[in-house]
Amino acid sequence: MAEAISVTVRLFASLREAAGTDRLRVEVPYATPVGALWSHLPAGLSGTQPPAALRYALNHEWTLPGTPLRDGDEVALVMPVSGG
Amino acid sequence: MTGLSPDPLDLGAVVAAVLDPEHGGVASFLGCIRREASQREVVAIEYEAYEELTLRELAAVADEAASRFGASVAAVHRTGRVAVGEPSVAVACSAPHRPAAFAACRYVIDELKVRAPIWKRMVYADGAAEWVDGRDGVRG
Repeated sequence: MAEAISVTVRLFASLREAAGTDRLRVEVPYATPVGALWSHLPAGLSGTQPPAALRYALNHEWTLPGTPLRDGDEVALVMPVSGG
Repeated sequence: MTGLSPDPLDLGAVVAAVLDPEHGGVASFLGCIRREASQREVVAIEYEAYEELTLRELAAVADEAASRFGASVAAVHRTGRVAVGEPSVAVACSAPHRPAAFAACRYVIDELKVRAPIWKRMVYADGAAEWVDGRDGVRG
């Protein structure tokens, strides 16, 4: 069995409001890819499709969905931005 | 000088940060809240930043403009509620001559808009409000 690890998920904007918090602690198997975190969000969100343009930051640096997670990592779900 | 500010922006301070006796050109840009968006009347925009990554991106964009154009760069973006007509982002760039100052200023604002993870919540005159972040088909 894969060892469980604990990661922090940062949420912003409408995701934060929908979840009712700006950060979640989730337990996932070791080396779970960053892109699989969506299914660990609260029920109202995990049942929906993530936006096609969703990006990820791992420990405050851009990363790709396939990056494996390690214990203590912090992942930000970066929804599409319309700047200015 | 790059950063985020919960307080009203001071363009004079942003310009002052790039003044340099070796630089004869200074270009500045203010982005302000426009009253109309998608044919609706806007009264304010609320900005929420992913602060750690925004600060990194702002610093990276400033470094890029410095190396590409030989410019000194200052850029500050608002967080929180900004009323219609008020500035939400201020950029100033100085360089030895004006072409590089204009080019750097354009580069910084264009890159910042794409790369800084800062979200907008539109607040409309009819009392409605919505996040512009790609969920629920909302557009900016």
